[in-house]
Amino acid sequence: MRAVYWAGALLCALALAAAASGAGTSTPGVSPTEIVIGGTIPLTGVASSFRSVGLGASYYFKYVNAHGGVNHRKIRYIIKDDQYDPALTMDKTRELVEQDHVFAIFNSLGTEHNLATRPYLNAVGVPQLFVGSGGRTFGADYKQYKWTIGYQPNYLAEGTIYGREVAKTTPKASIAVLYQNDDYGNDLLAGLKHGLGKRAKQIVSKQSYNADDPEVRSQIARLKSSKANTLMIFATPQFAIQAYRFAYQLGWKPKVYVNVVASASNVMNLAVLASSKKEVEGSISIVFLKDPSDPRWAKDPGIKLYRAIMKRYKDKGTNVNDVYNVYGMSVAHTFVQALKKAGKSPTRASIMNAATHLTIKNDPFLLPGVVVRTTPNDHFPLDQARLERWHNGHWASFGGLFRVR
Amino acid sequence: MLLAFDWSQLAQQTVIGLSSGGTWALLALAIVLIYRSTGVVNFAQGELAMLSTFVAWSLVHHGLSYWGAFFLTIALSFLGGVGIERAVIRPVERAPVLTIVIVTLGLVFVIDGIARWGWSSETRSLPNAFSTRPIDIAGVAFSIQDLGNIAVSLGVVVLLGLLFRYTKLGLALRAAAVNPQESRLLGVRVSWMLALGWGLAAAMGAVSGMLTAPALASFDQNLMQPVLLYALAGAVLGGLESPIGAVVGSLLLGVFVNLVGTYVGWVGNDLRLPVALVIILGVLLVKPSGLFGRTAVRRV
Amino acid sequence: MRRAAGIVLWLAAVAAALAVFLLLPHLVSDFHTRDLASAGAFFIAIVGLNLLTGYTGQISLGHGALMAIGGYTTAALVVHEHWRDVWTIPLAGLAAGIVGFVVGIPALRLSGLYLALATFAFAVAMPSLLKKFSGLTGGTQGLRFLESAPFQVTGLKGTVTVFGHTTTQNHFLYYLTWGIGLLGFAVAWLIVRGRFGRAFRAIRDSEAAAASSGVNLAAYKTLAFAISGVYAGVAGSLVAIQSEIVNPLSFTVLLSILIVVGAVVGGLGSLPGLVLGALFIQYLPSIAAHVSTRQGVPEFVYGAAIIVVIILLPGGAGGLLRRLAAPLTSRLYTRP
Repeated sequence: MRAVYWAGALLCALALAAAASGAGTSTPGVSPTEIVIGGTIPLTGVASSFRSVGLGASYYFKYVNAHGGVNHRKIRYIIKDDQYDPALTMDKTRELVEQDHVFAIFNSLGTEHNLATRPYLNAVGVPQLFVGSGGRTFGADYKQYKWTIGYQPNYLAEGTIYGREVAKTTPKASIAVLYQNDDYGNDLLAGLKHGLGKRAKQIVSKQSYNADDPEVRSQIARLKSSKANTLMIFATPQFAIQAYRFAYQLGWKPKVYVNVVASASNVMNLAVLASSKKEVEGSISIVFLKDPSDPRWAKDPGIKLYRAIMKRYKDKGTNVNDVYNVYGMSVAHTFVQALKKAGKSPTRASIMNAATHLTIKNDPFLLPGVVVRTTPNDHFPLDQARLERWHNGHWASFGGLFRVR
Repeated sequence: MLLAFDWSQLAQQTVIGLSSGGTWALLALAIVLIYRSTGVVNFAQGELAMLSTFVAWSLVHHGLSYWGAFFLTIALSFLGGVGIERAVIRPVERAPVLTIVIVTLGLVFVIDGIARWGWSSETRSLPNAFSTRPIDIAGVAFSIQDLGNIAVSLGVVVLLGLLFRYTKLGLALRAAAVNPQESRLLGVRVSWMLALGWGLAAAMGAVSGMLTAPALASFDQNLMQPVLLYALAGAVLGGLESPIGAVVGSLLLGVFVNLVGTYVGWVGNDLRLPVALVIILGVLLVKPSGLFGRTAVRRV
Repeated sequence: MRRAAGIVLWLAAVAAALAVFLLLPHLVSDFHTRDLASAGAFFIAIVGLNLLTGYTGQISLGHGALMAIGGYTTAALVVHEHWRDVWTIPLAGLAAGIVGFVVGIPALRLSGLYLALATFAFAVAMPSLLKKFSGLTGGTQGLRFLESAPFQVTGLKGTVTVFGHTTTQNHFLYYLTWGIGLLGFAVAWLIVRGRFGRAFRAIRDSEAAAASSGVNLAAYKTLAFAISGVYAGVAGSLVAIQSEIVNPLSFTVLLSILIVVGAVVGGLGSLPGLVLGALFIQYLPSIAAHVSTRQGVPEFVYGAAIIVVIILLPGGAGGLLRRLAAPLTSRLYTRP
């Protein structure tokens, strides 16, 4: 309650500051030939495998620019390296706003990182577009933070889907959970409990790990000793692969649900290599992007476009099969659509208005049928996903599209 | 209450601890090796091991057999270690310890950069050196791999013991580290001994990387950063200059963090490392040279 | 004559430093002063580390953790107790000073590399501890001033008025940080010149000799840790005030390493070079990123720059300054 009060008070106080910072005649970052946007991505350091989220988007913008841009304006996307340190995210975001005078902050990566900059960006009235995090708050708390909008299906919703699926198909399951000890892991766990509803007490054991731990074998052994028959892996790819390996090494064969962060086909193939075909068979996950390493999409026009763009624009040393590139292109595609809707001379208010009135049915990088949809009361652009099951070395979707919130 | 105690869980966590410790011991040995032969701690030891692992991965993917790649990588890493010593350590050879420590910290970034430049950041895997098929004895599961890593580290301890105790080269290495001035007078080519120490440590690091990567099921450029912390802790616990100390220290550490994480509620999975570090600090206060180290005589 | 020349030179240097300090913000863009303020926080931590490592010879690879204590003290007071951000600085220094003192006690039994490793362990353990006590620290989310206590942030509206003089928030942070930095520098200089400094240096040069000539080793060594902790705590507090958040991801072992690199590049056992050490660690990442953003290149350039500077400047920037100044002063001295 107090937080709401303070946030309201903050917004009033800063209306002044925003007015003073010259929102008057021309919109910052918009010239007749160019739109300048920016965002932070960990380009160096331990989390630099996320760099593709930014680079994928930048390749798509290059492609759009080569085809005339948007309303004859080229999109210039400045990526600043925050080394995955929220204090640096704060610093670099201020730099983008105050020094580079960007039109909007776009696709900045990380939950804690976007939480850090959100009050500032809302105070100065700079759009915080399509946040690179599955934190639910970025879509849910739009009344308090009207300049912020999320993008990907949120972790809470993902956990809820798994919970509902378990309750529906195996109501007697006893569940073990491995989750990362941060917002991302906690959100998934909370969603799972929510989805299970009154069956939440069937979670017989939950074990956390830290992102900088070397391994999770001790946790897996404890989960196994709980005699659970279902394992939720809410972990990043390496720890997910370890979970399969160590379950196998301990002779434990639970039914596995693995979060979308770690369910790209190439990761699953590594999990098979690390354990056994039998161990991984039947795993369940959700999917909303086309995974370039998935043979289902080999002839898909969207993935063909993706490969063509990668071939033309990618930096040396970029892995084409990295699904984060596809994610980056998808979020860039959404930005371009929003920019087109924002009018011939876009303003920060008009891009925000456009971003909250989206209906994009043909995003080539998303699963067929998935629609990017927002309204002023719905700041969750991507809230649809399908369940899929790992069978014989491939993912196969089953059931219809879920709406997830 | 006691009857309800799950003894197989205790045994299982102990076995897992030994297995993890066995992996850390490999890197701890590299740290001890360089400390013994040059008198410094190389903070880039983990990154060097990581780079070797990527080299091995490339060799395997160019069609070499696992063991072919294994030994070729060890040889290349040895040369790389010697080369690094010649290029960046030699100029600061006689500088204070802190200067050399800073150079090795700079090396951490350099090596990390090379690995990220040369190989994309996707997750990869190396073939297993040993079988990971589960073997179950009285409800406690383990695999050949767990035994294999410990066996390799003990084998290395024996080899190093032979090297340092019974060969001229080993003697020269030790002399060069302990007392460079006098060794020079006695005709030991101190500078080259240091280079050789770096080469040996890099080769040992390669072994550790190539066995750690399959033990952790997959790897990327961050492979050895967490392992380095545990390896350093294990080596310090055992006494920085004792190979057997490094192995025993790492094994003890592995068992300790697992048991304390399993049975002490407030430690859980979050505070295992801090608690282990406090314990090690406690050991150091009682015995500053570690469990197996000899107390150095302080010279005035 | 010699003495007079020395004093004149010294006064000129001080005047020049003050002039640069006062004028610099007017020569660069407003945002750039924020970067300089950030360098100022590094400078304070480096001065503190230099007192410890440069003057008593105790190596600490854990000063980032002491900065975390300072930063979180400030953040907790602002967010939970609604203190004005700048008034928390003394308490942040005090808290880190106490922790520094406690860290200094086991340090009495350890020396050289073992002390380096023990302090390194302290730095490694800090983020887990910050995450664990989430009631106080906000856990993995950390604490955010603007969300919980925006009116305690000085310069919230973009400007700050001090004694009827109005500046931008960025300029305010610059003057605040470097003002404290110069004050801390002067205090460090007095410490080094005085009785403490003599005792510290004696310990560095030979503990046994120092002890035999009546220096209380335990007292001075822990005192050095405590003083050094105060500096680190103030620096951490300023970092928190500048970024308006604290988070465990900001206080990893990398920060500790940066501070040591800054101190060594600046020149251990000398004070003037430390400004260059602070600028080095502040600007190196952006410079490295300018070379190429291709994966791995920034890290490589970053590490290579550290190694090259250490090899080329064994005494750090301080040693270089001394060498550059030597011909000048000796010419002054040899004048009849």
